[in-house]
Order: sequence, then structure tokens, then C-alpha cells
Amino acid sequence: MSAPTPPQGFPASWPRILLVTGKGGVGKTTVAATLANQAAGRGERTILVETSGARVAPGLFGRPSEGYAPVVMAPRLSAISITPEAAFEDYVLQQIKVRRLYKLVFENRIMSPFVEAVPGLHDALQLGKVMDLERDTHRGTRVWDRIIVDAPATGHGLTMMGAARAMMDLTRAGPMFEGLRQVHAVLDDPAKTGLVLVALPEEMPVNETLDLWEQLGDSRAQVRLCVLNQVHPRLCGDQDWAAASAHLQQLASPAVAEAMDLVARTISRSNRQEEAHTRLAAGLTVPVVDLPTLTHGVRSRDDLESLGQALSEALR
Amino acid sequence: MTARVIICCGSGGVGKTTVSAALAARLARDGLRVAVLTIDPARRLADSLGIGELTNTPRRVPIETVASANGGSLHAMMLDAKSTFDELVRRWSTDPHSAERVLANRYYQAASTRLGGSHEYMAMERLLQLWKGGDYDVVVLDTPPTRHALDFLKAPDRMSGLMDQGVLRWLVMPKSRGGWRALEFGSETVARVLKRLIGRGVVGEIAEFFDAFRGLADRMRDRSIEVRQLLRDPHTRFLLVTSPAPTARAEALYFLDMLTKEQMPFGGFVVNRTAIAPFHTLSPETVPQEAPADVNLAQWTQARQALLQAHATRKELAAIHTKAVQVLRAAGPQGAPCWLVPEQAEDLHDLAGLLALGPHLPGEVWSQS
Repeated sequence: MSAPTPPQGFPASWPRILLVTGKGGVGKTTVAATLANQAAGRGERTILVETSGARVAPGLFGRPSEGYAPVVMAPRLSAISITPEAAFEDYVLQQIKVRRLYKLVFENRIMSPFVEAVPGLHDALQLGKVMDLERDTHRGTRVWDRIIVDAPATGHGLTMMGAARAMMDLTRAGPMFEGLRQVHAVLDDPAKTGLVLVALPEEMPVNETLDLWEQLGDSRAQVRLCVLNQVHPRLCGDQDWAAASAHLQQLASPAVAEAMDLVARTISRSNRQEEAHTRLAAGLTVPVVDLPTLTHGVRSRDDLESLGQALSEALR
Repeated sequence: MTARVIICCGSGGVGKTTVSAALAARLARDGLRVAVLTIDPARRLADSLGIGELTNTPRRVPIETVASANGGSLHAMMLDAKSTFDELVRRWSTDPHSAERVLANRYYQAASTRLGGSHEYMAMERLLQLWKGGDYDVVVLDTPPTRHALDFLKAPDRMSGLMDQGVLRWLVMPKSRGGWRALEFGSETVARVLKRLIGRGVVGEIAEFFDAFRGLADRMRDRSIEVRQLLRDPHTRFLLVTSPAPTARAEALYFLDMLTKEQMPFGGFVVNRTAIAPFHTLSPETVPQEAPADVNLAQWTQARQALLQAHATRKELAAIHTKAVQVLRAAGPQGAPCWLVPEQAEDLHDLAGLLALGPHLPGEVWSQS
């Protein structure tokens, strides 16, 4: 009998904070949840941060919905939902202390839209709350070993870090500037914060990811991994198929002909996906890892386990 | 006469832009003069429409090169929220000087397209121009990606509320008391708190922006009343575009809820990328296990397994998607139309590909109420 394989996963030496980033609809949440599940599985006290307000984690783990306070999802794994609105209120209340004043200024629905429109403010405030998690301690030891952030969709390639910088340019001084400077110091430090890019194996999403890589500039050093999500496994090699298909046609079965069409589709899809992988791998200087698509979608912790396994094998 | 309007809504990544373009192409082919307004800067869409690039002004799509258009025509354009906003400021300003003041304002430059749903507002503004312009029978709108679907519907009301004169009076004192510094006196506490929070410079710019923007507020309010009419027009329909995935469906239903609450006309669901079940049954016996004489056994086995696997996977996926569509329809209003767009073999890369989706999309959405 062989010894049980030690728990694998992404390298434990990666930075404590991992921001999972990519465009809307690419599966950032799935990737973030997979990483968090891996970290917790090997004993790290982990928090998964959701930022879109969608609260996907409770559904995956079969747990009650998390709020602005962490809720336990699994052993050593908690989730928190940091929406811009909640982070904004939290920040302002910390700053001005008096709730009545907060209501006067921000709940009159007159001033708040203008403040909220300040570029990057929302992202910056959400990051501020992530920093609180980073600093949280209990009896002298830190509460979280690993913080996985499912970052907001990067519509224009602007990362959350870019948001913090843009905000600092506008504010120039004051308490928010100070807060941002501290946030920025942690986020900009490759030893403390890592980035995980998520893309889909299609032409446009790959282009967008390559664009994002360009825009990252110096922050590229922080990118640890690029995940190509929802990859369909290859059913058959081009050559095998070419060798067999003439004979399959001779079977003169409509059912076979129909299935042959399906196989031909999957082969051309696999070719496109492999091309997407090759282009990404050529353009980035970090590992590009394929995660398989699941026919039923990602619905449970078991699904996260199988995705985690695929990730571990690809990273080995 | 105003145009008929189809507004396509849905979450990111469901193929909303493609569906909007394909629907527009289909209607043009049916003989209507159609404009499609998209928000997605995807280069590929311009390519597939056979035009060099999409811009803020409508460009003619050469649809007659692939289909007889029966007198119909197709124009496509991409929303540029910033240019649209700039254009409005110039058009509505009482004098060129005040227009320049708004345009030069740092806050305006940095935040105008983020201001309380202004991106959504600008999409509506553009839509309104197309609606009233008389050049089109139908306008198809591919909506901006909204964090909260609600923002989109409420954008006009919200913007006009923001620009309301009463609000401006509250914020900015009469000009005699001196330009942007008015905010300091207009509401001292508010100004003090804001400065402490986000910095003196930003608050100054906001006040300056308000002051310069004053002349535009009335026009904006009039326009938002028109937008409200457009959204509730008997010839406007909202189509909810989704994929069979649970998260996308949940978002579509959330949006449906909003439509119902706002009393806006729901035209039906479009479920994109659905798998169609195999027509034939394929049993393993149909394909012999023994390889033909001139084929290597390993290769044959591989191909044979691929064949059975592709069939089985498609069958399974189609069953999942059928169930997903049932669940979606059960959650929607009774008898709500639902169009299924089959998953395409290849990426769409030309006009012919877009037109091939046509038969799966609604040609007539205005008959049901």
C-alpha cells in the first residue's frame, strides 16, 4: 500500500492574498472558490471574498448566505460578501463615527451618486475592507492564512490595483489618500499579493486577456497563474479521426453520420481551444492551466474538488 | 412615426451582442429598416457584420451581399458614452462658453461616464434619437453590462432626479456668492464631511461641475420623460437573453422581476447556445469493435469511442438544457414566448453566420402583449 498522497493544490508559497480577475462571465467565481477550497483543504484558515453581491459560495457549499460578516462554508473556510455599498457605508462610518451624520450626507440620495461616480472609489473601498481582513488578528495570531478575492469584472482591463492608484491621483491628500496608500503598499507588493487571471478558451477572451497583460505593466510580476476555464476534453486526435472516418462513412448509418458530425465539431473546437492555449502561453510568462468544463455546471463542493484536482495535476 | 424597439438584456457572457446583431440582421432581411446599437467594442462583431469598425454614428451593413433584403436595410453602431455625453453638453448648453466649462471640468472628464448610471442614460439617449429620427422601422438595443439590472431601467429617472433644479439649488448657492466655492456655504456640514472623506480637490470639482451644468438640467429632465415613454411604449419589447446555465438564468429572472415591477413590456426569453438532442439513436453495436484491415486498432478504438462519447454527451447536455428551459419557462409568465438558439459549430465570423441564426429568433414580438 502506498502512502496517501499529500494534499496538493496551488503552491503554498504563493502570496497570502490572491486576486482572481477577468472579464464578466469567464468563471472567476468558480476559480476563486476552487482555490479557496484547496487552501482550506490543506489546513489554511481561508476566507473567500465575493465582491459582486451575487453570493455564489453559499450555493456551492450548501450553507446560509454570507453577509458583510464572514460565514463558515466548510472546515477552515469562510466566505464574505463585500459589496461596494456596504464597504462605502462601513468606511464612512469609521471615518465620521456619527451615524446621524452619515445619514445626512449619504442617504439623502443627492450627494451619494456624485461621490460614487468618483473613479475607482468603489473598488478602492472594497479593497480597504480586504485590508481589514489582512490585518485581523485574534489573541495575537492572524485570523486568516489565505485571502482569495473574487475581484469585480474588469470591464476595461482596469484591475482593482489600478483603481486604487486612480483614486489616489484624485484625492491627493486626506484620510482616504492615507488609507489607499496603505492598501496600495500591500497590493503592489508581489510578496503579499498575487494575481490569477481567468480566461475562456476562445479568440476574443484570449485577446482581452493578452490586452490586460499588456496593461498590467509592472504588476505583471504579481501574476502567478492564468486559468483557461471551461475547456472541453479532446475526444479524438485529428489523425485518428482521419484514419477512421472513411470507414465509418461506409457503415451508411444515419445515426453514425449524425454522431460523426458531432465528433467533427468537437475536434474543431478542441483545435480552437488548443490554439487559444498556445497563444496565451506564448504571450504570458506565467503557467497557463486548463480547467475542464463540467457538463452539469459547477454546483457543489464535489465539483470544486474535481476542478481542484485538475488544477493540481496541471501545476505539478 | 416612432420606431419599434427591442431591448436585449442579460448577464455577461451569454452572447447578448451576437443575438442582438443576428436579430437585427434577420429583421432587415424580412424587409424592415433596422438599426442595431451595441455597447460591446468587440472588433469581431464589426468584422462579422462586414464593416470596418463600429462607431457612435450608424454605419450601413452590406446585407444585400449575402441575402435579398426585400427593401430592408441594416445599420450598426456602437455606443460611445463619452462622445454622446459631450455632444449633449454642446447641444444643450445655452452658450458655447458654458459648454466648454463643463467639458473642461476635471470631475466631468473623469467621472461623467460613471455618474449614477450615466452610461445607461447615454444608451437611452442614443436610443431615443434613433426612435424618433424616422430613419428606422425597428431599433435593436444591446444593453450595457450593468452591475445591477435595475440601474438600467431607472437611469433616466435617476439622472433627471439628479439634475433637478431643486437639487442644484440645495447644492450650489446663487452665482453671486461666487463660483464653485458655493458648496462650502450651500451646505456646510455636507461639504466638510465630504472634504474630509474624499479630499478638498474632488469636492471643489464636483461643485464646479454642478454650477456649469445648471443650464442643462431642464433639457435632461424633458428627455428623461421621453425615455420613460419609450420604455413603456406599446411597440417596445424587452427580450431576456440567457444561456442554459443556472447563474445566467437566475439573472434573467431577476431582470424579469424588475420589468414586472416597473411595468415594462416583456417580449420573451432567448436561450442562447442550447444543445439539440441527437435525432437518431446510436447503439454501440452499430459500430464494429474490430478495426477495418487498413486501420490501426488503437486509432479505430479511439475514433469509435469518440463517436459514442460525442453522441452520449450531446444527449445528456440536451436533456440538461431541456430541463433548464422548462424551469425558466415555469418561472416566467404563463405562455411567455421562448426562443432557443442552438449552439453553433463554429465561432460566428461573417454575416452569413449571423443570418443563419435568424430562423431561431423572433421575427415578430409585438403581437403578444
